[in-house]
Amino acid sequence: MLRIIKVTGDSMSPDFQEGDFVLLATAPFFLKRLKVGDTIVFQHKLYGTLIKRIVSFDPETAEAYIEGTRPDSLDSRRLGTIRRENIRGKVIAHFSKT
Amino acid sequence: MIYQILSKLDEKYHFEQAQAHCDIPCGIYDPSSAQIAALTVVRMMDLMADLAKGESKNNVDFHNSMDRYITVKEEHAEKAKQEIRIIWGDYFKKDKHPNVDELVHKIMQLGSKVRQTADREAGLAFVAAINEFAEIFWKTKDVKTKKAKAPYAPALEMVYPDL
Repeated sequence: MLRIIKVTGDSMSPDFQEGDFVLLATAPFFLKRLKVGDTIVFQHKLYGTLIKRIVSFDPETAEAYIEGTRPDSLDSRRLGTIRRENIRGKVIAHFSKT
Repeated sequence: MIYQILSKLDEKYHFEQAQAHCDIPCGIYDPSSAQIAALTVVRMMDLMADLAKGESKNNVDFHNSMDRYITVKEEHAEKAKQEIRIIWGDYFKKDKHPNVDELVHKIMQLGSKVRQTADREAGLAFVAAINEFAEIFWKTKDVKTKKAKAPYAPALEMVYPDL
C-alpha cells in the first residue's frame, strides 16, 4: 500500500534530488485516479525502476506519457508510453535532504 | 528530521531505488559502444564457426557453447542497433546530415541480418557501416578520426576519434 523509495539520478532536479526519499502509494485507489502532473514510479523493461512525471495520456490507450524535469531527461520519446500495469505507484510525499 | 530518520533506516535496510535518469550519461553521445557491439557480433560468428569445425557436435557442451555464442550475438546486434538509433534520433538534426538517414537504415537492416544468420560477410558489413556512422558523428563534432585495427579479436579496422 505504501512504500519508501530512494531517488537516484538528476533528471527530476530540482524538484527531486539524488538521495531524496518519496512515499509511494501503490493502492489501486490511487492508481486509478492518476492525472497529468502526478509523479509516478514505474517499471521499464530496459531501465528498471524509474521516477518521472506524467505529462499527458494517450486518449485511446490511456497509457501515460512521462518526462523528467530537466530538458535532457529521458522521456517518452525514448522510453515509450507507460502502461498502467507497469506503474508501481504515485508519489504522495517527498522527503528532501535539503 | 524525517529525512534523517529515513536516511538512517536506508543505511540499515536499503530502500528500493527509483532512478531519475537523464540520457546516460546526460547529453553524452558516443558511437564507440555500438562499434564494440558490432565487433562482438563478428567475434561470436568466428567462435561459432570454430566450434562447428570441431568433431564432437552432439554433446551437451557443444550445444551449451553454441547457445551462448548465439545469445551474445543476438544481444550485441540489438545493442548496436539501439545505440545507433539513440544517436540518430536524439543527436542528429533533421536534414543536416542527409546521408545519415540512409546509412542508419542500412545499419538497421544489417543488424537484423546478422541476427538471422551467421554470415560473416554481413557481420563485416555491419561493422563497416557503423564505422562510417562513427566517422560522420565525429565530423559533426569537428573531431578528427583515425583508422586502426582493434587490439583484440577479430582485430578489424575501426574508426577512432583522434583526440
